[in-house]
Amino acid sequence: MEKIAVTGIGIVAPSGIGRRQFWANIKSGRSFIKKITRFDSSLYPAHIAGQIDELDKYSNVSERLLKKMDTFSHMALIASELALQDAGIDIKQEDPNLVGIFLGNAIGGWLYAETELRDMYIEGREGVSPYMASAWFPAAPQGQVSIYYGIKGFSKTIVADRASSSEAIGYAKKTLGKNKLNLILAGGMEAPVSPYALLCCNTYGGLSVNNGHPESAYRPFDKKKSGFVIAEGAGIMVLESEKKAHARGTNINAYITGFGSTCDGVDRINPDPSGVQLARAIKLALADAKLNIDQIDYVSLDGLAMEVWDKSEAAAIKSVFGSRAKDILVSCPKSMFGNLLGASGAVDLIITILAMEHNLIPPTLNLNQPDPLGLNYVALEAKPAVINKALIISRGRGGINSVLVVERA
Amino acid sequence: METKEKIKEVLVKLLKIKPEEIKDDINLADGIGVDSTEMVETVIALEKEFSTKLGPKEITKFSTVNEIEKVINSKIGK
Repeated sequence: MEKIAVTGIGIVAPSGIGRRQFWANIKSGRSFIKKITRFDSSLYPAHIAGQIDELDKYSNVSERLLKKMDTFSHMALIASELALQDAGIDIKQEDPNLVGIFLGNAIGGWLYAETELRDMYIEGREGVSPYMASAWFPAAPQGQVSIYYGIKGFSKTIVADRASSSEAIGYAKKTLGKNKLNLILAGGMEAPVSPYALLCCNTYGGLSVNNGHPESAYRPFDKKKSGFVIAEGAGIMVLESEKKAHARGTNINAYITGFGSTCDGVDRINPDPSGVQLARAIKLALADAKLNIDQIDYVSLDGLAMEVWDKSEAAAIKSVFGSRAKDILVSCPKSMFGNLLGASGAVDLIITILAMEHNLIPPTLNLNQPDPLGLNYVALEAKPAVINKALIISRGRGGINSVLVVERA
Repeated sequence: METKEKIKEVLVKLLKIKPEEIKDDINLADGIGVDSTEMVETVIALEKEFSTKLGPKEITKFSTVNEIEKVINSKIGK
């Protein structure tokens, strides 16, 4: 099967918009988690997040269109544009029937929805924008991006909690591998920094309430882990076959060579503490990439900073890699800007590709006392290292395990 | 303010367009690209502006500003 190349990267994150600004902030190991300023969240148990304040500066979207969509679609449009620019693609020159979109997100467009629902209860049904129906649902960004660029090919939106965008990228890889399309915009977007979405995340019980010290609140794999911190943004990449990328004479950032996906099937929220099915997803991804465990140099961790999640993730890595587990470099860079939920896998993949390009592994922030032990964590500061082949682990509530393999171009 | 000016003001505010883009005798779909969802919003805004009710087919995206003016004037007794 032909290799699938990443030829363009579009990133919209709390730690930067566009690959250059994003990487500069990631490699410096700075925290971008702050108190939420978009609305008064002071009465929520957790009221810190990775928030994006300058979206409009990067947007070409007209005001007329903007009022019809939620922030998560807006972020998807900006990330798509950045990815296409990065790939040097003029989409009007492509056959629209052979271009697709594969995006993932977990919660939909709640900022739009809750504003309109409030109006419904205050003003009655006439107070609700007629765009509500098409703005909030999880596939709305796929629709908006396809309309904006006139994309007509086979496309999908995948909802699989925090593993959504990894699943979307995995299925995009499979689809390109069958020669069904010429290129795919793949990734995810999430906008949970809204009153209702934040409330739901709080109710779930997994958020850190260390509001007094936002920068040190998210501490995956640290002994003092206290839960995760939500973040908003989008990560979208241009994927195409290696042959097509070579024919265009474009720069290839990396190859996506493996995808493995399993379910725990044990609990509505928590993962299987043994990590058995995550281990199987890792093995499936490695088999898909035709790699063995000795060839992996780096693992990008899901790192929810909750006891059962971090422990089962470490257990899965140890069970697959055996004695090598203590040598392979691992890190969880999202500790710097927060967990983008359904978009987190795409952003982790982008970070790993940039890490490969710059021979530098971004750190896990706040990792002072590793727990569990036995993994080779890159903590506190970025570490120079050559990465040729890496794994990206993404997991979702209800026991969704999704693993991607990425290889240096 | 005359009915027609008020109608145009509603359209400008709702659709974030410039007043000069609106031509009195070209229908809303062809002239300023109003789609069916924007039309729902437009009808609700016009009903509020003129304190009246508009039937589902009295005004459509294929109506011109001149035609909308006529319908509204007949409703408000102008």
